[in-house]
Amino acid sequence: MKIKNEPIAVAMLILGTIVAIIGILGFENYRRSAEYTAELTARATEYGNWYPNTITIPYGKPAKILIRNIDVVSHGFALPDFQIAVMEIKAGESAVIEFTPDKKGVFPFVCTIWCSNRHMEMRGQLVVE
Amino acid sequence: MIETKDKLFGIVDLNARFELTKFKPVRAVLKSRWMPLLPILINLFMFVIILLAAFTGGLSAGNYNFGIMIVWILWWVLLMMMLVPGFSRAWCMVCPFPIFSDWAQRTRLFDVKPGKLGGLGLKWPKKLSNMWVMNIAFLVTTFFSGFMTVLPIATFILLGIIIIGAFVIGLIFEKRTFCLYLCPVSGFQGLYSQFATVEVRRKDWEICKNHNPKTCYVGNEKGYGCPWNRTPFDFQKNTYCGMCLECLKTCPYDNMAINLRPPGVDLLVDTKREPRGLDEAWKAFIMLGIAIVFYLAFQGPWGFFKDMVRGVTLPGYLGYIAFHTVFNLLIIPGVFFVFAYLSKRLSGNTEVPLKSVFTNFAYTLIPMGLGVWMGFSVGILLPNGSYILRVLSDPFAWGWNLFGTAQIPWTPVLTGIMGYIQGAILIVFFAFAVGYGWLLAKQIYADVKQAKRGFIPILTFLTLITLVFLWLFVG
Repeated sequence: MKIKNEPIAVAMLILGTIVAIIGILGFENYRRSAEYTAELTARATEYGNWYPNTITIPYGKPAKILIRNIDVVSHGFALPDFQIAVMEIKAGESAVIEFTPDKKGVFPFVCTIWCSNRHMEMRGQLVVE
Repeated sequence: MIETKDKLFGIVDLNARFELTKFKPVRAVLKSRWMPLLPILINLFMFVIILLAAFTGGLSAGNYNFGIMIVWILWWVLLMMMLVPGFSRAWCMVCPFPIFSDWAQRTRLFDVKPGKLGGLGLKWPKKLSNMWVMNIAFLVTTFFSGFMTVLPIATFILLGIIIIGAFVIGLIFEKRTFCLYLCPVSGFQGLYSQFATVEVRRKDWEICKNHNPKTCYVGNEKGYGCPWNRTPFDFQKNTYCGMCLECLKTCPYDNMAINLRPPGVDLLVDTKREPRGLDEAWKAFIMLGIAIVFYLAFQGPWGFFKDMVRGVTLPGYLGYIAFHTVFNLLIIPGVFFVFAYLSKRLSGNTEVPLKSVFTNFAYTLIPMGLGVWMGFSVGILLPNGSYILRVLSDPFAWGWNLFGTAQIPWTPVLTGIMGYIQGAILIVFFAFAVGYGWLLAKQIYADVKQAKRGFIPILTFLTLITLVFLWLFVG
């Protein structure tokens, strides 16, 4: 039987483009929702600040937060009420913090590296409920 | 192939060829319709990842972005250091950008559909059937180099424009018009491929002469007529051969070959069908000028100039564009013109037109420019190459670690001796420029005495360029 190469080539093209894009985005979406409790992206205040500015996690359950620095400068992360800090997340890098919140309330988190003129405004809040 | 009695450096036989396609398995692979379709499809997947990474990377840091790193560190360096000087337009062979317009024209990806191609199939204007549009396109592209090389979204936009441009032009104009006359990356590959150590050529002219119709041009059931709208049976230069391999498939006599050859033999070719021209001369000037500007901007210590290129202030950025344009289009050619004028005066020849001296000697800048770009590429690769290992494992900076290399820190390699490596490359290519310059001088002027005298100013120019870059590289 002669192999029909045309459909194979078309299938490869579709696999390498549309399916690849949908597959990668779908996989990442699934991975993040399965692996992390919340996600933060870091940019200097002038360019977006912490996003989202408020994250909510459940009380008493292990939390895993992905912090992605999508900026062109380094940022740090500190959550003083839980004594959690990441000294430096370089531009383009990501960090993961894991802890179990043992108190309810609203807790500030801040950037700990002087990242811009409005560095002091680079803060957000963690809601534990 | 044009026979020449000249020997490069007095020892290298420029007629020497080694046919790679004489090996049956090699020819069989190259004649398969999966070649180059399969590498193109793999490359297409790679560029999907690059585009996705560049898009999702947005305005983030370029050094951890797969799109930026693969395009501007890996691809550019591979292109300048290996693909073009070694394998001619091998990149064009596997480039995925025209696949959609090819598909639209042929309505087939793999099979050969006989008859007229789809699309409007308009002819590209004859006046623009040269490198001028590509010269401008590439120069304009470099206006944005300070953004493209650091901002992922800028790389996404550039690639997007090229992909959409290739598709739209393919729907309007015939065959690979975009690749031939518009693609910003095509021009310098065409120019520098004249130096390449590989060529696609016919084997026996008698076979081609008696073969009608010329299937390499019109196509047959085995393949399409030359998509680059050339006449492969008559190839003398690599400039516009996209190495798509269709002519190897369509020749019923297996009379097309891929040969290894001494580097640079095309520089001596000046035929009616493939003449030397001002468009290619200006391409050589532009490439040399851009290399100088890029070195100053990206590898030099001059912060104010970096700020201009990066558009920190609008006046500074406009100043960069103005300087860049004038320097490349006027100053470099102007300086070279002075040396060409001196060459003519010193030679004592009154018959050769100055334009001919200027144009022909400009081809010495092909090996010279290639050497400069290779040196520049070393300056990109050695300090930044380690980023590639990192982005391979985490292409979207999403915290992946596919190959266990995501945590590899930035590790410059051999930067202590980088300048000497760059200098050594430069000197080798200076030697090629001088070697071919001398052979060109003998072509331009009537006798050896005139050639010797006329070559002195060109040798001086080449030496000055080399000294400038040695100073920049080694300090």
